[in-house]
Amino acid sequence: MQSIDKMNAANISTRRSVRQVLYVTARLILGAVFIYASFDKIIHPAAFAEAVYNYQILPDDLINLSAVVLPWAELLLGIVLIAGFWMPGAVALSTLLLTIFMGAMVFNFARGLDISCGCFSTSASEGPMTVWTILRDAVFLLLAVYLLFATFFPKVPLTSDR
Amino acid sequence: MMQSNEKWKVALVQAVVILAIALVLGLVVNAVRSGGIAMIGDWSAEARLTAPTGESVIVSLSEAEKMFADKATVFMDARSKEEYDAGHIQGAISLPWHEVEQQIMGVVERIPPDRLIITYCDGETCALSKDLALFLKEMGYEKVRVLVNGWSLWKGAELPVETG
Repeated sequence: MQSIDKMNAANISTRRSVRQVLYVTARLILGAVFIYASFDKIIHPAAFAEAVYNYQILPDDLINLSAVVLPWAELLLGIVLIAGFWMPGAVALSTLLLTIFMGAMVFNFARGLDISCGCFSTSASEGPMTVWTILRDAVFLLLAVYLLFATFFPKVPLTSDR
Repeated sequence: MMQSNEKWKVALVQAVVILAIALVLGLVVNAVRSGGIAMIGDWSAEARLTAPTGESVIVSLSEAEKMFADKATVFMDARSKEEYDAGHIQGAISLPWHEVEQQIMGVVERIPPDRLIITYCDGETCALSKDLALFLKEMGYEKVRVLVNGWSLWKGAELPVETG
């Protein structure tokens, strides 16, 4: 019936628009978070290196190199995510990084290490790493995983002819 | 439309390029800026506990014990309040590093800047005591020292402790 086809077409394009809005919103949020997170670490490399050291995970000799490179990776990822450019690489790398951060935090939380998160700031005012910092990272990781699926396994746009 | 496995290969190349650019940017900026850090840092305990002026703030357990005998010495526990309550060096006050900004004024009012302060926490690599010590120095305390791995060492030597 013609009217049912028209309803289906409208329904489909609404669903597609909603998906697009969700996709762009997730990109903008995650991109902004990465960019914001990179600033203090780029400005205070020595303090950030100490935060990395305090996690007691990397070997001493790799700490400074990581502390110097990671913030720039975050900044670049943020820019690329917001621009919507190189999405496959950007979402894959974002997911990988956030998973590594999550792993590091959970590991240290489990072994009772009392350290500063070092997530957004290198100063003491950011506070210790707690369940809340882990949960916050989980939210970011969820955004990244959503983007990963949306980028790599996009729902094939439904057409109105069956 | 790109097949899924092609997308993964593209993703890999893009990710590697992003990391490579970050590497170059990071290294170049670090090399030319004024606050840059060495590529391989000295993370030994001595290096970590040397103030920017070059003097070491570490005290040994035997030195700390002697200073403990002098009642004017103030021991500060940089760990959380819960850990402090569970057990601390006798006479030590609690000044958790993670709450220093809320509690520092109370401490400044009670303790004059010429007193000898020894901060401690627990563990060889614990940074709380050192962060607290450097902060106290910035606040104007002239004599601040760190007893590395203070809690474990003090307990291990069966020196006076208390709870609550």
